[in-house]
Amino acid sequence: MRRTGFVYDERFLRHKTGPYHPEIPDRLVAGYKGIQEGALLEHLTMIPAVPARQKWIESVHHVAYILRFEEACLYGMTEFESPDNQMCQESYDIALLAVGGILAAVKAVMEGEIDNAFCPIRPPGHHAEIAKAMGFCYFNNIAIAARYLQQEFGVERVGIIDFDVHHGNGTQHIFEEDSSVFYYSIHEHPSFAFPGTGREFEKGANAGFGYTLNSPMLPGQGDDEFKMLIERDLIPAFATFQPQVILASTGFDGHRDDEMSGINLSTECFSWIMERIMEMGDQYAKGRVISILEGGYSLARLPELIRNHVAILMGR
Amino acid sequence: MFVNKSMTRKVITGNPEMNLIEARELMKEHQIRHLPIVNEQNRLVGIVTDRDIRSAMPSIVLDDYDSSDERKRLSGIRLENIMTFDPVTVSPMYTIQDALLLIQKTRVGAFPVVDDEKRLIGIISIRDLVRAFINVMGIGEPGTLIGILVDQKVGQMKRIVDAITEERISFGSILVARYWEEEDKRAVFPYLLTNNVARVKKKLQDMGYTLLDPMEWYIDKLPGNE
Repeated sequence: MRRTGFVYDERFLRHKTGPYHPEIPDRLVAGYKGIQEGALLEHLTMIPAVPARQKWIESVHHVAYILRFEEACLYGMTEFESPDNQMCQESYDIALLAVGGILAAVKAVMEGEIDNAFCPIRPPGHHAEIAKAMGFCYFNNIAIAARYLQQEFGVERVGIIDFDVHHGNGTQHIFEEDSSVFYYSIHEHPSFAFPGTGREFEKGANAGFGYTLNSPMLPGQGDDEFKMLIERDLIPAFATFQPQVILASTGFDGHRDDEMSGINLSTECFSWIMERIMEMGDQYAKGRVISILEGGYSLARLPELIRNHVAILMGR
Repeated sequence: MFVNKSMTRKVITGNPEMNLIEARELMKEHQIRHLPIVNEQNRLVGIVTDRDIRSAMPSIVLDDYDSSDERKRLSGIRLENIMTFDPVTVSPMYTIQDALLLIQKTRVGAFPVVDDEKRLIGIISIRDLVRAFINVMGIGEPGTLIGILVDQKVGQMKRIVDAITEERISFGSILVARYWEEEDKRAVFPYLLTNNVARVKKKLQDMGYTLLDPMEWYIDKLPGNE
């Protein structure tokens, strides 16, 4: 049994996205239900979320962008920079809270209070660019967590594994010239899916060349191809890079019952990838794995997917 | 959609008296494969390609490759001896479509752009056309491509565009391809600037459209290109 931290706060449900949006509060409710039904809740260490200090948001995002987002919420605007980004008056505060919760989990892991953590937060983050909201994302949660690890704890090598079905353009761009953060993503091929980046030939730039790795999957390929790509691309890359901490951009939207994609993954495949991540965590990172929720929209599947995910983190 | 909007204006040129070594260095330095040759009045007299240069060079497997004797011999070869006279040119008011069809027809990789007096004013290469088409397809922006099978009859596009617009989704581009399996069908590919297509896909299906399996998408299917 491992000590697994859990960042869950009902205020995450208060980021409202309107009637026709897939990124809805019920996603978290469904995940919570799965954890409850699996009788896992009482074995998790609850990590309270407090709003992140602006200093940490600024470690990734431009000040002008942060203010623009805050103002848009204060004015009561219901979308920000694109109709994809539906929001409400509280969204800015909730986004700060999400980051704050993640940073608290990172701190608890680094200080040895817990072994690993799962952060089912909203809004998600991996599409958010330095100065642009995109694809339901406002602050790049995982990128801020990586900067926090570097600046607060002196971590020299952070490994990010992004298995959301969409490429994490924001995370890639933030770290593409940085050899201290390895960004790996497996996702549906950008010619068929949002956001249109994450092609095989995108490998980082300048000093960061070779520290970005993308494994695009064609529509319809499924579990076998997914597993083959992880074993061919990710496993050897992390064996060389030797990350001291692993951050996971966890997305369940590649599931075959999820309407957002077409790569046909099974429930079992999501357990499989998490087991591989845990093995790498043990091999290179003293078990320090922090999983941060991105996408995943099938309310019918999220309970089992999140239950399995958390059970694997807990070593049950 | 005119060539003068997409061409490269700062053209690196050579002259007929330039020798092979000089031309090779110039093309290497600027990473170009086509060197238009002009006279003193900037009138186009020919073109040299990297292939012309390589054909005139000794094989790199020979021992005396790049030896001083060999360099002396090569510097005696002037571009007027190896260049193509009267290359295919285009006018600045050619359209991009003209240039594309001409590339397909002539299998030439770049056309010097000349005015009525044959003065060189630019060059348009496959590279310039690729850049123009990345722009036209909108793929520099984040979005999602969907493929819809439609009957070849009037009003289909309006229905599709209206349905998508009602969802408040912006278009990056729309491509239409001949559908090769059934003669009277077209495949329409809207590139939508959103991550949120599940609802609009369902709506199009409810309207009676068939969404094409992404693995069956062929935007580039051309007659005789089997």
